[in-house]
Formats: sequence, structure tokens, C-alpha cells
Amino acid sequence: MSLTAGSRPDGTRPPAAVEEPTAAVATAAAKDQVPRRTGKAGKKGKAGKVPWRVRLRRDRTLILMTLPVIALLLLFNYVPLLGNVVAFQEYDPYASSNGITAIFHSPWVGVEQFSRMFDDPLFWSATKNTIVLFVLQLVLFFPVPIVLALVINSVIRPRVRAVAQAIMYLPHFFSWVLVVTVFQQILGGAGIIAQTLEKHGWSGFDLMTDADLFKYLVIGQAVWKDAGWGIIVFLAALSAVSTDLYEAAAMDGAGRWRRMWHVTLPALRPVIALLLVLRVGDALSVGFEQFLLQRWAVGAGASEVLDTYVWNVGIQNGDFSYAAAVGLIKGVIGVCLVLGANKVAHLLGEQGVYKK
Amino acid sequence: MTPNAASISSGPSRRSFLASTAVATAAVAGGMPLLTACGGSDSGSREGATSGKAADKLIPTYVASKTAAKPDLPSKNGSTAGYTSKVDLAKLVTSVPDKLGTGAPFKIMSPFWGSPPKPGCAYYTALDAAAGTKITWQNQDGITYGEKLGAVLASSSIPDMVVVPSWELVGKIASAVTAKFMDLGPYLAGDKVKKYPNLAAIPSDAWRMSIFGGALRGIPMPAAPVPGIAPFYRKDIFDKKGYTVPKSPDEFLSWAKEATSSKAKVWACGDMRWSAAGFFGVLPAGSLGWNIGDDGKLTYRIEHPEYLEHLEWVRKLFDAGVVHPDDKANTGNASQRFTAGQILVYNDNTASWYGLTAEQAKANPDFEIEGMDYFGADGGDPTLYANPPANIWSMIRKGASKETIENALAAANFAAAPYGTKERMFVDYGVEGTHYTVKDGVPVKNDKGNQEVVNAWPMLAAPAPYTAHPDLPEIARKQVEWQQRQGAFVKKTSTFGMNIVEPARYATLSSQFEQLEIDFVRGHKKLSDVQQAISTWKSSGGDKLRDWYKKLLDKNGSGN
Repeated sequence: MSLTAGSRPDGTRPPAAVEEPTAAVATAAAKDQVPRRTGKAGKKGKAGKVPWRVRLRRDRTLILMTLPVIALLLLFNYVPLLGNVVAFQEYDPYASSNGITAIFHSPWVGVEQFSRMFDDPLFWSATKNTIVLFVLQLVLFFPVPIVLALVINSVIRPRVRAVAQAIMYLPHFFSWVLVVTVFQQILGGAGIIAQTLEKHGWSGFDLMTDADLFKYLVIGQAVWKDAGWGIIVFLAALSAVSTDLYEAAAMDGAGRWRRMWHVTLPALRPVIALLLVLRVGDALSVGFEQFLLQRWAVGAGASEVLDTYVWNVGIQNGDFSYAAAVGLIKGVIGVCLVLGANKVAHLLGEQGVYKK
Repeated sequence: MTPNAASISSGPSRRSFLASTAVATAAVAGGMPLLTACGGSDSGSREGATSGKAADKLIPTYVASKTAAKPDLPSKNGSTAGYTSKVDLAKLVTSVPDKLGTGAPFKIMSPFWGSPPKPGCAYYTALDAAAGTKITWQNQDGITYGEKLGAVLASSSIPDMVVVPSWELVGKIASAVTAKFMDLGPYLAGDKVKKYPNLAAIPSDAWRMSIFGGALRGIPMPAAPVPGIAPFYRKDIFDKKGYTVPKSPDEFLSWAKEATSSKAKVWACGDMRWSAAGFFGVLPAGSLGWNIGDDGKLTYRIEHPEYLEHLEWVRKLFDAGVVHPDDKANTGNASQRFTAGQILVYNDNTASWYGLTAEQAKANPDFEIEGMDYFGADGGDPTLYANPPANIWSMIRKGASKETIENALAAANFAAAPYGTKERMFVDYGVEGTHYTVKDGVPVKNDKGNQEVVNAWPMLAAPAPYTAHPDLPEIARKQVEWQQRQGAFVKKTSTFGMNIVEPARYATLSSQFEQLEIDFVRGHKKLSDVQQAISTWKSSGGDKLRDWYKKLLDKNGSGN
């Protein structure tokens, strides 16, 4: 493979190193499908090579092994979906002997809970905050782990690399309570920076209660806490890049930057696209505890996002039906976003999350 | 993304604040239940209230306790009764001579602040043996108790007895109380209560507050009507610096500016909203906030000019930079900043008077705090409003067997033993030698006592409000005297003493105001936002709610 062919930045053709494993997976999958199809056909018409029963017996251990997971998945992920029906009711969990039968005793109100949203300024304020934060997270947070992964990857000495990685991972294991406290101790009105400035005659520094800068503050907190953790998946992708490619590129006279541009980044592209699609699909979930904890400091006007709004309305005020309606709308928008983002990924020639 | 406990506790809303004070109350042996909840303003399938003569038929006959020790400071102006002299532990009287429990096992769900002891611990076994009961305790985290309570009440397996704090009666839980808990009238109303002398000695006001949906459904933990929240100040630091205690809001502000020195890491105060409500004579939140004024008009707390005035004054404090930045950001623990001397004034439950003093006694012997006397907006006499006479109830589920009910009542009767009895000592201190030792005639809990003798039993019921701190009698005296001084200015609102369940459609009408207050004083909302919210409140149901209250008060008579 010549360097020029494999390195077109427009990316119509991904480099071999990435193409090969995916192709291998694809062929393996295709091979796997062949007997299944014939098996099905065999069941319907003439006797196939591997009958349905035989396959069942052959795979029974595997099937048995997955059964508990499927049961849990059904029980905890799919059955509760039915509970969304309360969004069309005025649900009173105490209308009957228990909360589930109470659904049958609660009055139907049609789409009233949904129309309430249009007249609810708090809902729109929460939606606005959510979207603004999502965009900021995408622009300011999303690229950080990629850059960090490239930096880590360029470090050759394994010891330095391990230490750097460990330091970057650690904050991920802090709870949000701790993160907010640490930030308060540093950036708060009685924190280290404020005290130091005070000694030099500047007073009034308090970043933690500034409602206007809050959106950047939360991005900063998220970067500190989770950016290090986010590099793991990129490092894994980088480790899959064949060193042959770098050697070949170096042989052809590519410098450090050109190697990164033409070899490393294209190798990361499918992973970046995948994560981007997932992130966009999850756009309306920008965080929860982080915002709940700092609600007083900057006010609900700046810190209310859809998730905290649902929690307040549903759990705190006991308005379950309205909270369910808001949650349902959020879910529907999320699905639309995933489909849209995936479509865009396909159009750009990426695999995305799934293929048709 | 689960709402974790810490996140809730770190946001001291009125609700979690009240819960935290219950910790103090229940943890301090002999402390009185001084919770100042905002009454459950809530929805219900059976809305309304029962008071007056109709209520008197439902409640137990009051029979004064024959066993209670004579208080050194008798109740005055609605204060608690104070005990300042030593009680002879050898001569404690018995208030429950016969075991009323039959030993049939039953379950109790109760909030617990801290880490609960193991089932079958020495405290639980000893108390069961003394009361003749066999209780399985289902202790639940007090901070998230509301969530648990809401879920348990919506399930088909409700524990036999459930402790229900008034501050958890939000949303639809109040209606659940009527739907899920039984009428105790057949066991307690009128003279029937005489089988349980300690319950008969609970004041009638508290019993009236225990009527839900037209029936007596709760066994109350009575509370004194005097203010439960005090503006505490560091007397030791005031004396050292030569500060005089402010006597008006203006004096407070100018003192606060003088006392604040951010370089020295000292700020004048924390968030003073609750004290300010007292200084400016703001009506309480919840149904107690409805009052018929001298002009004969029925109004709600937010409609009065004092409501805006008290918020504007607190905002002045924030704007002047005299409030600790961590209080502004609402992180950490205000009482720790107070004991560390980083803030000199903060408001807290009066139970902290003892709690903080006892906690600091060893580490900081100079530590001394006092409750500031409330002053009026112009520096004159304040107008304070009476707290509800009960804030926590224990309730028995519908469908419990007769034997279970009798055992549950036996447990409550034991827990309601008055000060100076063996039963009180048992409930508050456990077993001598195991949970406490006696030093100079004063009981002192050991580690095991501090671990096991917490919550549970004291949550079931309590005697008439009293204050006693055997190890720090001076604090008990100061506390009761403070209550008596403030009590002189306490007025009852028209809705006092009624357990009112508002119609469901108004349940969330006022829910945004607390957040708005928090945001306004910190400068995140404008005065016009608050005014806007008040007019929205009126048009979107407040005026209709007024009509509803008017009818209710016409029917039941006024509570003041």
C-alpha cells in the first residue's frame, strides 16, 4: 500500500490496518450466517444440513448461559418500559393496594401532561440549559481525551506512561460530592485562590457561585474528573495500529506530525465516529449529581437540566405522571438523535453504531 | 445517575434540614422534639381537616402523668418544661407497671440517621423484654426516608407500624396516610386511652394534629409551639472582641460588616433566612402560613410585604459579603464552620445548643454559644408564629391484627414515658453497665450506647415536650429561658393545630418558592422574579386555594 493512497485525508478509503480487522470480522459474521440461513430454509422445506433441533442441542450450553442475562434484561429494561403509560394518566401510586395495580385505578388524561410542558417555563429553561451544556461538552470536552490519548501514545518510556495514565485515571473514581468540594476549596470564595489574591489586595474572587461562568465550570470539572478515563478506548484503538505503517511512513520520509495526521488519526476515526454517535444520542443527559450538588451555589436558573428537573418534579414533588411525560419525550428525542447521527456517520463512510 | 444520599443531604432544603434536626433531637438523650416543620401541605383523596368539637370526639382524654418528675422550670409561654437539677437515678418511678405487650412479633419501619445497630442488639432485646414486645426494626436512612416511604406505601407489604415525619408528607404521600393506615379511635379515643397512661398524658393539641382524613391515625411526638430555630452566636468570641449583640436588622448588618474579615477567614454569618423570617414576622410555610388578619382578610405568607422584606434583608447580607462563601455555595457543614469560628452567627435547631456544646466541651473548653433573642424589623418586639404541636407520628397499617395493634400501642406507651421514670431512662440510655455508666449521679453513654441507643424507640411516641441535659444542666436552663422569652411573642395563626390536607390540584402550587428564596438572596434572581412568582401563584390557583381555606375555616372555626 502506498503512502499516498492510504493517507487521503478525506478518508474515502480507510487505511489497511483498520480495514483488515473489520473486514475479518465481517467475513466471520457472514460465514456464521450461512448455516443459520440454510438451517431455517431446511426447517421450512426439504431437510437441511443442520436441523433446528440439532443446532439447539449443539448450542444449548451457550443458550443456557445467556438465559439469565436475557431474563434480567427483560425484567429490568423492558418490563419497566410499560410503566411509561402513567405519562397519559394522573397517576396516584396510592389509589390501590399497591403501586402497580394503582395504574389501573388512576384516571386517564390523554396528552394533558405533554401539553403542560409547553406552558411550563421551568421545563424550557431546563431544556435550554441542557442543550447549551451538550454543545459545550461536545466542543470543549469531547476532543480532550483524544488529544490526551495522542500525547500518552507518543510517550515511549513505559514507566512514565504508566504513571501519567494512573494520575489521569484517578479522579474518575472520585464521587461528585468530592469533586465539587475540591473545586470549592480551590476556586470558592474562601478557597486557596481567593485567599492568595486577598493577601495581595484583590478581593471578591468566587468562581463557584458565578451563574454566568457555571457552564464552563462544569465542563472544567468534567474534564478533570473524566477526561483521563475517556482516553482508555482511544489508547486501545491506537494499540491496534500496526507499527509497520509507522515504519513504512517513516521510510517514505514522513515526519512526526505527518505520521500522526496520516496514520494515527485515520486509525482513530471509526472509534471517534462511534463515540460521537453515542454521545449525540445521549445529548439530553448532560449529568445529574454534578448539577444537583451545585444547585444552590448558582441557582436553579443556571443549573437546572432535564434530568434534575425530572427528579425534582417526580421524586421531590410526587408529580409522577408529568415527570414520566418529560422523561418519555426525552427518550423519544434521544432515539431520533441516535438515528440521525448514525445516518450522518454512514453518509460520511463510517460504520456508526449499527448497520442496516 | 442515581440520586445519591449525599447529594440530597448537602442541599439543606427545609425538608432535609428538618430531618437533620430530628437527628439532633433523637440523638440527644432527653432532648425534646423541637421540629419546626412546615406542616404537610399536600394532596389527598380525602382533603380537609377536622378540628373543634368534631376533633374532640376523636382524640383521647387527657390524663396528666402521675409519674413525671416535677420540672425545675415549668412550662411558660408555650416553652418546654425544663429539668436542671439532678434526678436520683436510684429513685426513678415506674410508669408502666405491667407489661402491656403480649410478645407477638411485629415490624416497625422508622427513619434512622447514622448507621443502625444489628438486629437483636442488646438495646433492642432489653427494651423488648421490658415492654413485653417483640419488634423487628426496619431502620431506613433518614435522609432519603421520603423516597423509601413513598415506595413502601405503594407496595402491598407495609410494615405493621410506620414512623411518618410531617416533612415527608409531600405530593401524594398524605393521601396515602389516609388510605393505608388504620383509625386508632377504637383503641384510643376518649377514655379508652386510659389503658396506656403515658399516651393519655400526651397533650391534646398534639393528638388533634394526628387526625388524618377524619380519623385518628397517628400517635404523635408532641412539640412545643415556641420557635424551634435559634439565631446562635459565639458568645465566647463576642465577649473577646467586645461585640454587642445586635438588637435590630440594621444593627445586625452593621455589626456583620465590622466582624467580617475575609483575610482572617472570618465571616459574620451563614444563610440567615430562617432567622430573618422571625425578625420580620413572616408567616410559616405550608398550611400554617394562612392567616386571617386584623382586617378580616385571609392571606398567605407570600402575599405580605414582610415576605419580600425579609428576603431583601438577607440579600443585603449576601451582597455585603458578610456571609461565608461556602454557605453561599452551600457546601460543607455550616455548624462546623460555626464551631471553627469561621462564622460567628448561624441559625439552627435549638437542639444544637446542647449538641454543639457537648461536642466542643473537650476540644475547646472556652466554647460558648447563646441563642440571640428575636427582635422586630424596627428593633422592637418581634412577631413570631406558633409551630405545629406535632411533627412526627407512628402509624399502624390497615388490616393489622388486634394483637399487633395492642403490641404496637404498648411499645408507643413505653416510649412515651415521662422524664424521671425508669422507662424513659431505658429508652434514652439503654441498660446500665452495657450502654451507660453513672458518674457523679449523671448517666454517660459509652461507645456501645452511642452506637445502639440511637433513634428507633424514641421515634414511636414522646411525652409532653421537656428539656433535660443531665450532664449540662446549665444548657437546659438557658434553652428553656430562651424559649420562655421568645414564647411571649408567639402568636397562633388561624390554621394552628389543624392537620390540613390540601386538595391534590394545589399540591405543587407553592413548591417553587423555596428555591426562589434561595436563588434570590444569593443574587441569582431579581426581586421582580419573586413578585412575578407571587402573582403567578395567585392566578394559577392561589386565589382558589384561598377560597378553599376560607370554607374550611368557616366550617371548622379558626385555630387561634
